[in-house]
Amino acid sequence: MILRRIRVADWRCFLNPIELGEFDEGLNIVHAPNGTGKSTLFEAFHRALLDSHKVTGRDIEMLRPWGRTLSPKVTVGFAHGGAEYRISKQFLEDSSALLERMEDGTYRRLAEGTAADDQTRALFTQNPPGRGLARQENWGLAQILWAPQGNLVLTRLSGDLVADIRSMLSLQIGAGAGPLEAKIEARYLEFFAPKGKLKTGKDAPYLSRLQEQLKEAAEVRRKAQELYLAYEETVRRVEDFRARRAQAGHDAEEINKTIKRAEERVSAYRSLSSEKKERTEQLKAAEARYSEIKHRIEIITITAAKLTESRRNVSTLEEEAPLRSRERQEREKEVARKKASLEDARKGRQSVEAAEQIAEAARKFTECTKNLSELRVLVARIREIEGTLASRKNDRAALIAPGPKALRAIRKAAREHDDAKAKIEASLISLEVVTESNGLLDVVAGEHLGPLPLGAGTPALVQGSPEVVAEIKGVARLRAWGPTGSIEEHREARAAAHGRLAELTAPYGTSDLDALEALSDKAKLRDEAVAESETKLDTLLADRALEEIVQDQGLQEATAARILEQNQEWAQSPPDAPALRVQALEVKKSFISAVESAESAWEVAQSALTAATGQEEAAASRLEESRKLCASLESQHAELIKDGKQPHERQREMQQLAMEWEAAKGRLKEIEDRLKDFQDDPEAVLEGLEAQRKAVEDAATAARDQEIREESKLEGLAAKGPYSDMVVAEERLAQLKHDVQTEQLRVDAVRLLRETVASCRAEAIAAVTGPVELAATRTFQRIAGGRLGRIQIGEDFEPKAVQPEISPESVPLDNISGGEREQLYLAARLALAHALRKDERQLVVLDDVLTASDAGRLARVMNVLEEAAQDLQILILTCHPERYRGLQSGRFFDLDDAIGKTG
Amino acid sequence: MKFLHTADWQIGMKAADLGAAGERAREERLAAARRVVDAGRDRGVDFILVAGDLFEDNAVSRVLIQKIADILGQFRGPVFVIPGNHDPLVPGSVWEHSAWKSCGNVRVLREEAPVELPGGVLFPCPARQKHSGRNPVAWIPPERTPDIRIGIAHGTVEGIRQDEPDYPILRDAVRRSCLDYLALGHWHSYATYPDHEGFVRMAYSGTHETTRFGERDSGNALIVDIPEAGSPPLITPVRTGGLTWNIIEKELREAGDVQRLKEQLETLPDPGSTFVEVSLSGIIAADDREALAHLENILAARFLSGRLDTLRLRPMPEDDTWLAGLPPGVVREAAGRLRQLASAGGESSTIASRALMELYSLAGEDAQ
Repeated sequence: MILRRIRVADWRCFLNPIELGEFDEGLNIVHAPNGTGKSTLFEAFHRALLDSHKVTGRDIEMLRPWGRTLSPKVTVGFAHGGAEYRISKQFLEDSSALLERMEDGTYRRLAEGTAADDQTRALFTQNPPGRGLARQENWGLAQILWAPQGNLVLTRLSGDLVADIRSMLSLQIGAGAGPLEAKIEARYLEFFAPKGKLKTGKDAPYLSRLQEQLKEAAEVRRKAQELYLAYEETVRRVEDFRARRAQAGHDAEEINKTIKRAEERVSAYRSLSSEKKERTEQLKAAEARYSEIKHRIEIITITAAKLTESRRNVSTLEEEAPLRSRERQEREKEVARKKASLEDARKGRQSVEAAEQIAEAARKFTECTKNLSELRVLVARIREIEGTLASRKNDRAALIAPGPKALRAIRKAAREHDDAKAKIEASLISLEVVTESNGLLDVVAGEHLGPLPLGAGTPALVQGSPEVVAEIKGVARLRAWGPTGSIEEHREARAAAHGRLAELTAPYGTSDLDALEALSDKAKLRDEAVAESETKLDTLLADRALEEIVQDQGLQEATAARILEQNQEWAQSPPDAPALRVQALEVKKSFISAVESAESAWEVAQSALTAATGQEEAAASRLEESRKLCASLESQHAELIKDGKQPHERQREMQQLAMEWEAAKGRLKEIEDRLKDFQDDPEAVLEGLEAQRKAVEDAATAARDQEIREESKLEGLAAKGPYSDMVVAEERLAQLKHDVQTEQLRVDAVRLLRETVASCRAEAIAAVTGPVELAATRTFQRIAGGRLGRIQIGEDFEPKAVQPEISPESVPLDNISGGEREQLYLAARLALAHALRKDERQLVVLDDVLTASDAGRLARVMNVLEEAAQDLQILILTCHPERYRGLQSGRFFDLDDAIGKTG
Repeated sequence: MKFLHTADWQIGMKAADLGAAGERAREERLAAARRVVDAGRDRGVDFILVAGDLFEDNAVSRVLIQKIADILGQFRGPVFVIPGNHDPLVPGSVWEHSAWKSCGNVRVLREEAPVELPGGVLFPCPARQKHSGRNPVAWIPPERTPDIRIGIAHGTVEGIRQDEPDYPILRDAVRRSCLDYLALGHWHSYATYPDHEGFVRMAYSGTHETTRFGERDSGNALIVDIPEAGSPPLITPVRTGGLTWNIIEKELREAGDVQRLKEQLETLPDPGSTFVEVSLSGIIAADDREALAHLENILAARFLSGRLDTLRLRPMPEDDTWLAGLPPGVVREAAGRLRQLASAGGESSTIASRALMELYSLAGEDAQ
């Protein structure tokens, strides 16, 4: 379709009619500033071609010029299929549509009303207009060819458009294949969801239900099989328990036989044991008799021997008794003699005591004498020192001297006095007068007023403060002065120091420091002398008082006097205490020796007596015992032989019994040998066998109990007829498996059919979209370069992505810049427009697009548009005409001018 | 002495190949059991011998035991039954059911001990295990007596090929045991074993009702007539089975084969008692597709159980009529690919063939 002209009136901003045309068959640029009505013009254009004149609603109402109740009108002249047409429509009030065709140079009415709407629309789409104004997705081919304002994006192409495009592009897809394909798809969708998974839920195909049933049947079968296997297992267990019970029965039978044999053995064994016991008794009895007789014979023999021995002992002892008595008596006499000697020796003790007393007294006397002498000397010495001390103290007391403290105070006062004096001296003004002749100086002002004799050549000093004034009568008045100072302070200080000094030194009678120091030294010496005397006295006293020492002296004297009372000769001739001591020791030693000797002799005698006495008594005792023994042995012997038998008779009897004993031994051995043949304890064996039998019986009982339980269980299982249930379950399962297999084959076949058809379709479409893709890519790369690679167009002819060469994956379009995106869509639209045009030019409308493209790219776009204009009619609506001035071809329409022309 | 020899009723057996018709097959076996008893009664036999495997398993439904006991109880004379390897004499077996006590004429022979028969002696060889390598007839004392000596055993006569001997019975068991007749059970087909004199004294009666496809000479009972001890028995098979099991395997080679097969099926007698399994291989022409669908319907509707296996069918490779009716373009292209895939072989070719069938069916609807 080629646009020739357009006329619009009463349409939004176009209050007055406006007409544009004759459009070029190539490039056309309609330009005007913003808000002039370019897009309105485009709107009127596509409404005229696509919308029903009868359309109502708010959208169509908005077409009226603001504030006016006017019916929008549009007339579009166009060429199609070699004919010229004109469609005129009026909307809203008095709506109308008229389609005219040029015939013989004149427009003739072709269709009107709805027919006109339909025939016009049919040029672009087979779709009915629907309610309201036609939406872009219902524009049909125009959706591709006409890009609304700022919207080059090619998206959401309607299914019918896509089909139409496919239909227009190629016949390979198949005319009339739609219904069959639809049926194939419908058949596919009976089983599968659009995404390819088997349907589920209430829409699930029969196969799903079969599979569910198969699953259930498998579970039923599994349970039936479980029950059947439980039955089989229980059968085996019952068989096992029966076998066990049978085996237990056999075992019990065997054991009973063994027990019977064992019992017989036990009986034999017991019999032999009993006989053995009896024979053992007999043996013991024979042995006892033999032992008895033998013992009796031995006893008799022993008793006789003992009796003889005993009698002999008695005889011996009777002979010894008097001898022992005599010996004892001798010993007693000896003891008496030794005793007397001892008593005599002991009487020497008195001499010893006397000697010791004398020695002790001598020692004491000597000691007292010595002590007394020492004490007297000590007392005398003490008294002497006491006298010296008293004297020294007196001397010291007589000396009044300052102590160190007082001396320090005095020195300080003197120092202060001197300081004050010095300061006064320093404060005084001094005037020294030396006259050549004698004279008299009258001190008028100064320390000492009055006349002062002057000697020739002798300096006379006058001091005073604050001045010194002195006169020499008739000669001079001398005056001296100096810096003023507070001499009064110093004088006061000197007076105070003087006062203190006087006070401090008053007791000592001098204020001369040296004298005071001499006094102090002297006092110190005297103190030292006193201290020395005191020290000596303390040493002598040794922490005792003199009275104690004197008292001690008194005691010593008393002691000595007492001793002298008893030893008066010592007063003249003092005793030799050591010698007396030695003498006393000699006496004592001699006494002790004598006593010890006597005692020793006495003890020996005593021991001998004791021994003799003991022997005599022992002998008497032995004699008594021997007599008793003898009597006893005689009695025993009499008892033993009271049977009257002779020894040889007894011997004979013993031999007889020995033979009987041997015989009993032989019989016992015989029984024991027979018992040894048993090799074990038959009773223990029998006991063991009986225990085994019990165990077997218990096992049999347990097996029987278990068997009964399992039989009961088996009965329950058998009553359920598990095999029959399993058979039914398996048959059903087999049937379901077969059905599933059949249905699965069908489902797989349907899927394969659909996939094969889809694959073929995709290939066919690819064969169509391929060239479009290639053309669009080429155009795009001319504009934007090769960086973004190839445009990928989907089977619905919408650009989907770009495939850069450097990227293994395609890049979605929203990942490229806005400018490149609009250039891409332009390229796609142009490629599609070229592909769809067939043998007729088609109109491509671009309303204010490429707003994001830079000038460089725009230049290339212009080239592309110029080339496209060779095959397509291109209508560009823009508010930037300058961008298109570079076009070598192209017709420009100034909408502003067109509006102005109409007033 | 005249008696009926039967065995291997396998009551309660599974029929997995028959699917939902398995229960019907089991019911037919009960009906066949009644026919056995009727045959015995109609032919005036003195007693009936059941040589084992009366039941398929010892754990069958107890109702079946009662039913069989009732059926056997309807015979006027004694019925001697031995346990077989499917229903051996084990704890919990069918033989412990109280039904046997209520049937006065049915004797379950549980011991290897001679049983007095009118005019003879019966030597039963009951099975006590599912499997055994022991000769079940070995216990029979080999002593010639004036009485007719009948043995009844369940096992495998030597010479029948099997992986492991199961209750092996020597080929000359009759001679060894001095029997006039040995009634055998275990194998489901009727078979006889002539002795060294050429007389048949040992036979399998086979199962009274065929149990599966391909089982030959089954569905019979034997009427055995022995005039006197030492005489060769007169053995007469009588038909007791009511079901027919038909396997039809056909390779399709040319157009019309399916139609011919359909006609063949329509001529089969008594379809209500017939199990049919049709297995087709080869190539199928496009024109035969409709006939194939009809064939499937006939099998499902007319016969007791009918199955059609077309997995090995492939569309004719040079048959362009597959494509002619399809709209040009994608669909036709897809059909061509599917045909190639169907001809390639393998599992995917089966699916491809089926897919083609589906496409053809949809195209057919579309055309209408």
